[in-house]
Formats: sequence, structure tokens, C-alpha cells
Amino acid sequence: MNWIAKLFNGGPKAPPIVLTPVQQEAIAAWRKTPAPDLTRSHYRSRYVVVDVEASGLNMKKDRLISIGALAVVDGVIDFSDAFEVVLRQDVVSTHENILIHGIGGSAQSEGVDPPDALIAFLQYLGKSPLVAYHALFDQSMIERALKEYLGCDLGQTWIDLAWVMPDLFRDLINAQVGLDDWLKLFDIENILRHNAVSDAYATAKLLQVALARGMQRGAETPNSFVELERARRWMRRAS
Amino acid sequence: MSNNATQLLVSATIEFLRRHPPFDRMEPEALQFLAEHLKLAYYPKEAQVLTPEMGVARTFYILQRGKVLARQAGEISVVEYSSMTLGPGEGFPIGSVTAQRPSTNAYVALEDVFCYELQADDFFKLMQKSTVFNLFCTQYIASLLNQSRQQLQVQFAQRAAEQQTMNSPLASIVKKAPISVSPDTPIRKVVEVMAAGHIGSMIVVDEAEQPVGIFTQSDVLKRIVLPGIALDAPIQSVMSPAPHTLPISSNAYDAALAMAMHGIRHVLAVDEGGRLKGVVSERDLFTLQRVGLRQIRQTIDTAANLDQLLQASQDVRQLSLNMLAQGVGAEQITQFISALNDTLTRRIIQINLENHDLYGIEWAWLSFGSEGRDEQTFSTDQDNGIVYVCTDIMDREQTQLRLLEFARDVNHDLDKCGFPLCQGKIMASNPELCLTIEEWEEKFGHWIRTPEPQALLNATIFFDFRPLFGQFNLANRLRLSLLRQTRTNGVFRRMMAQNALSVSPPLGKIRDFITDADPERPGTIDLKKFGARLFIDAARIFALAHNVSATNTVQRLKLSAGPMNAPADEVAAIIEGFNFIQLLRLRHQHFEQEHGREGDNSVRPDELNELERRILKEAFRQARKLQQRLKLDYQV
Repeated sequence: MNWIAKLFNGGPKAPPIVLTPVQQEAIAAWRKTPAPDLTRSHYRSRYVVVDVEASGLNMKKDRLISIGALAVVDGVIDFSDAFEVVLRQDVVSTHENILIHGIGGSAQSEGVDPPDALIAFLQYLGKSPLVAYHALFDQSMIERALKEYLGCDLGQTWIDLAWVMPDLFRDLINAQVGLDDWLKLFDIENILRHNAVSDAYATAKLLQVALARGMQRGAETPNSFVELERARRWMRRAS
Repeated sequence: MSNNATQLLVSATIEFLRRHPPFDRMEPEALQFLAEHLKLAYYPKEAQVLTPEMGVARTFYILQRGKVLARQAGEISVVEYSSMTLGPGEGFPIGSVTAQRPSTNAYVALEDVFCYELQADDFFKLMQKSTVFNLFCTQYIASLLNQSRQQLQVQFAQRAAEQQTMNSPLASIVKKAPISVSPDTPIRKVVEVMAAGHIGSMIVVDEAEQPVGIFTQSDVLKRIVLPGIALDAPIQSVMSPAPHTLPISSNAYDAALAMAMHGIRHVLAVDEGGRLKGVVSERDLFTLQRVGLRQIRQTIDTAANLDQLLQASQDVRQLSLNMLAQGVGAEQITQFISALNDTLTRRIIQINLENHDLYGIEWAWLSFGSEGRDEQTFSTDQDNGIVYVCTDIMDREQTQLRLLEFARDVNHDLDKCGFPLCQGKIMASNPELCLTIEEWEEKFGHWIRTPEPQALLNATIFFDFRPLFGQFNLANRLRLSLLRQTRTNGVFRRMMAQNALSVSPPLGKIRDFITDADPERPGTIDLKKFGARLFIDAARIFALAHNVSATNTVQRLKLSAGPMNAPADEVAAIIEGFNFIQLLRLRHQHFEQEHGREGDNSVRPDELNELERRILKEAFRQARKLQQRLKLDYQV
């Protein structure tokens, strides 16, 4: 009955989570941050656009290497409100993987201690809704890391532009496509492909396009984007 | 940690800004400050970015992607004519933010637009931090023009230097056959030859004609007189042995370098066999530096025949190019070309007067069109005529015949000297244009009273007349009577205005420029028809209305500004615009002719650099301003 033990004890390998008092305090403070009102206009909201780099594409096994994030506040990108962190890796990712995101072996092993890195991210994020393209991957990687290192749940709203965009722009692309297709369509340049910050920057510009379109289509709040995504996912599943 | 992310984004912003003026020249710290304080906004197509109704402009915008249409709001009813398109790298509204007032323009996204935003407070800080930005804002147009002129200067300075001095082979510099002596020639003989031939240096050669020594004038004192050497000693005892030689195929640059490196003033050019072919002195290299203005004038004034004048007219062209290279403005260059062409024409007239007896006739040679306006470019044909006085006791036909014969010879000589005969027969040898003062007055009067299309066209050529030779007072009398007629005839001027307004500046609404006016030359703009002429035509009407007798466009604009209550800085901006277009025409014609083509005025905006395109846009906007003034004044 080994698998039952695993299920109930969180697995034999999982080390116990030990956090310093300072770390615990920081997490508690983040928990107390009031949640924003998601029924306010896009242009009175703060979105955090994220992109992660990992050691591979397996959401269950691969490790989170870096988080890049950018805020869209009141519809505008503020470059000083941006975030990037590399999580220290005890085992450096494969050579092929490094070639993709360009975070080399030494950068990985010199990264920030994972609990501190994640706490810094939480402090940057606050309770803002998160936005990503193909958000499931970013969400899984971040939430799994939070669980593993901090023992905490995010429980925050995620918006996936891969679903929102084709709904807002049915006249242009009414299908699930890659990020690059949208970037090309709106002539958005990606300064450094597969760099978490650069990808987040391009995604943030795409969000700006979506916000403006949303305002024209009556989807004027973060919540309305969540609704829109949910409806479309349901429609797709039903058909 | 978040610093890394911000740094990446800020440096990406800097990289973008650096591709556009004035940010490309901005101080690094100021650029860093700017990039750190910018935010990025998005406006979908047709969204309003900024309008006068939004109140005091508190944000400065720099376009990152897409285009914005700026449209003047209110004031003038003809909205269509007061719009312009802004593209990536362009900032707005400079004036309104600086003055902290509502924008006078409405800015609307023509496409999906990403644009950087800078808060007014940071805008002012940037103006303090950056002299470049400050200058850019306060001297918006002027600073752009300056930059362009400097670029032009560099570009031409290189070409001029390459072409004329440093690349010329020694063979082309060495004109005279060298004078040489053998090593055993007595000193006395050598000095005698030098004195008789005004020779500065004597080369000593062996039997194989290979140079073995050099003896110069300055050696006479130091090596002969002071040491008291006997004059019958052989020259080889006092010469400088082993003179510096260069193959005759090397160029002026090599010679200059050798002189500088070895501290010598003469270099000997030798052929493959080492035989002496010529002497190049320091002075030879300096005279290469160019024919001067004074020299050309002298050549023209003393020329006895057409060959010399033809040479002079080529020198005029060469000198104008040098002036272009030195960064002299278009106004001065065109005036300069006109002035030298005047001198040339006068000399041709003088030479022909020796063969024609015009004694007893009061007459003046007139020039029309661009020459009449002192605005000649490199490509120019003849536009001239004659005015004379026919008294009661003279036979009109006989007098005209004498003048026509004379004019025919002058026209042909001008043709030989590089001023092609006029296709439209606007020449003094045309009986229609060799007229008495009364006939000219009647001709002008007829055009003014019956302003049909041909008459209006004629007015644009002939009303810019200017006397070149003879009795200048005849031309002045004609000018006074012309102004008397046009000043009081509003209908005629209104027709002129209508004619002038039939061509608009080629500013596109979506694209920067309209470049398809000429189906045979797609992608080009005729800068004469759609550029210079817009200014020239408007200035002429202002001059005719306000009693200004000048024919030069810049002069006309300056002199009519007073009676028209036009602010000095506005007039200055218009003149800058006109001069920039003239500069582009000059440059284009020069390049075309250099490549063996006829110098036309069809310039490709795509081939201009970004800065020049922007100035050109600004110049066209100035032309539009002039046209708006015409519209208001004449209600057309």
C-alpha cells in the first residue's frame, strides 16, 4: 500500500518545510493584503503578466527556473513595476534546455534561494489578477513551487489570453493558436524570445490590445475576462 | 531583483529611441532618465490619443508603433488641409506641453498604436537635463535643419576631398616637363637657368635620366653664398643627394604624405624605369584645393573667347559643388550661381557688342524665370529678352532688327557656354520678346486684364524679370508700371492665387508623402512643381499685392511680411522650408549629372534619410501655411 502512504503523507521524499520567522511573517503579511475589486474597469486595475522558464515542459516533474513579470496598471505598462528572479537550482537543467531560455548553469546555481525568490514574487504580485499566454503551464509551475517551498496556495485569479484573444477577435483568428501568431498580427516585437521578462513584455502588450477591445465589446472588467474565458472553454468542450 | 527586469526593458527602450532624432544625439544620462520614466500605452485604431477638449496637455507622447493623425481643430474651416501624419519615433505635442496649454491639434490613431508616455513634470526635468532635447523643443524646426545641413556637409566634404585633391594621380598634377641638368654642370649655369625660367628647384639627373639630386632656390644662400663656394664648381657638390621619388602612378595623397613625413617640399615623379617625369611641389598640392571665386570672376572678365568662358562655366559648377560641400545654404548657392552666370552672360554680351553696332539705342538685357529671381540651380536653360526705347525719329522695325541680330548671336554663344537654348523660345532673339518699353507694358497689361490660363502662366515667368546689362532704368520703369497695375487689380491676383493653389503640397494623409503624381516616375516627388514652385508662386502674389519690387522669393517673403503682418519667426520658418527644398534639388541635380543623366527634380523620399524626410514634411507644411494665407486673402 505504498501509493496510499504517498497519497496521505505527501510522499516519502518530500522534505519538511522549514521557514525562518522572517519568511513566515512575509507570507502572513501577503495573505493579509486585501484582494482587489475585480469588477472595476480595466483602466482602474493592476494586472500582473507573467512568464516562467522551467527545466522542461512537464508540468508535474520539471522544475521552475525563473519568473518574469510585468504590471499593466490602469492600462499602461510601467517599466519600473517589473520583476524577474532566477530560482537557485541544485541540479542544473539540461544543455538543450539552457539553449532555450539562455539561463546558464552558473546563473542557475547562483540563483536566489527558492523560498526567498517566491516570497519576493508574492510581495511583487500582491493580490493582483495574473495574466499569461497558455496560462496553465505558468500557473502549474508557480503553484507547485509555492506548495513545495512555502507550503502555501496562491488561490488567485488567472486569465489566459490564449482563450480571451480569440473570443475578442473572432473576426481575425477564431481558434487556439500560438502566442507568436497574435504578436505577428498586431505587429508586436519580442525583443528577446524565451527570456521570461521579454516574453512577459510582449504578452503585456497583447493584454493592452485585449483591454482596449474589451472596452469596446462590453467586457470592461477583470471579471468579465474571466467569464469570457470560462464560457469559451465550455463552448469548446461542448462542441 | 526587479531591477534586472526593469533594466532589460529600459535598455530596449533606449535602443528604440536611439534610432530616432533627437534622441539619437541625446546625452546618455538624459536618455537613461527618459527611458526610465516612460510608460507604454496602447490605442486601438481610431481612438483619440489627445484632443483640445482634454484640457492642458500633461503628457508628452513618443510613438513606438503605428501612425497617428494630427488634425488642427477649429480655427480654420478647411480642416482637410491642416492635417499631418506622425510615425514611430515622433513626439507630440511639443508646443502644448512646453506651454502647459491644451493642444491645438486632435491626435487620432490611424492604426493600432503603441506609444510611450512621459508626464509633463518629467518632460521639464528632461529639458533641464538635456541640452539636446531642450534645443530640440525650443528650436523645433531650426534644429532639424541644422542637423541635416551638417550631415550634408560631411557627406559632400568627403566627396569633394576625394574627387579633387587626394585621388588625383601625379600624372594629372605634373603639367610642365621637368627641367634637369647633369651632375657636372657648373653651379653658375644652373643658377642662370633657374633665374631665367623662374624655376624654384632644379633636378640633377644621371645619364639614364634618373634623379640623383635636387637643388632649390633656398639652397643658393645657405650652400653657395654664405660658405663662399666657387660658381664654377659642379652642381653635385652642393645639391641634396638622393631626392624623394614616387612612381608617377601614385596620387596626390601619397605626395602630401611623403612631404609631411620627410619634411620636404618637393617630390619627384618617376616612371617605371626610374626616369624623371616631373616635379610636384607643395604649392601644386595647395592650388589643387580649388579654383576660387575671385579667380573665376577674373577669368570671365578677361576672357577673350568662348573657350575660356566655357571653361569658366564649368568652374562655376565645380565651385558651387564645393560650396555645397562646405555647408553653404541653398539661398547663397543659388544666388551665387546666378551671380556668376550674370557675369558670364554680361561678358558674352560685351564680346558680341564688338561685332554689332547698337549705338544710339537705349536698351537693356532682361532675364526671366529662375534667373530673374536669382534662384538658378545646376540645370538651367535660357530665359531672356530685351527692352528698348524707340523715339519718334527712329525706325522701329530697323531698330528691332539690329537688336534681334545681336540677340541671336548672344543666344547662340550662351548655348555654347552651357545654357541650352530655351525650348519655349523665351529668348531675346524672339521678336515677341524684343520689345519697346510701351510694348512690354501693353503685353503685361493685356495679361492682367484678361487672365486666361496662358496669360497666368506667362505672368509666372515674365513678371520675375530683372535687368542684366544695359540701361537698368528701363527695367525699373517697367517694374513700377507693372506694380501699379497689379496692386490695384484684385481680380487678377485672385486668379493668380487660384492658379497657385491648383497644386498642393504632396503630403499624404496615411503615408508621409504622395509620390505617384507622375505616372512615369512612381515613387518620386517633383520638387520643382510640388515644392519650390508653391513658395515661389505665393511669394510672387504677395509681392505684386504689396508693392515689393524684389524678384527673389526669399526677398519677396521678407519684404512683404511687414505689410502682411506676418510674425518674423513664421516667415523665417517658411524661408527655411523653401531653402531646404532648394538644397535637396541642388543635391539631386548634382548627383544626377554626375551619373551622366539630365538633372531633373524627381526626388525619391525613400532614398532620403529619416531626418531629411521629416524636414521635408515640415517644409511642405510650411508651403501649406503659405497656401492657407492665399486662401484667406483671396477667398478661393
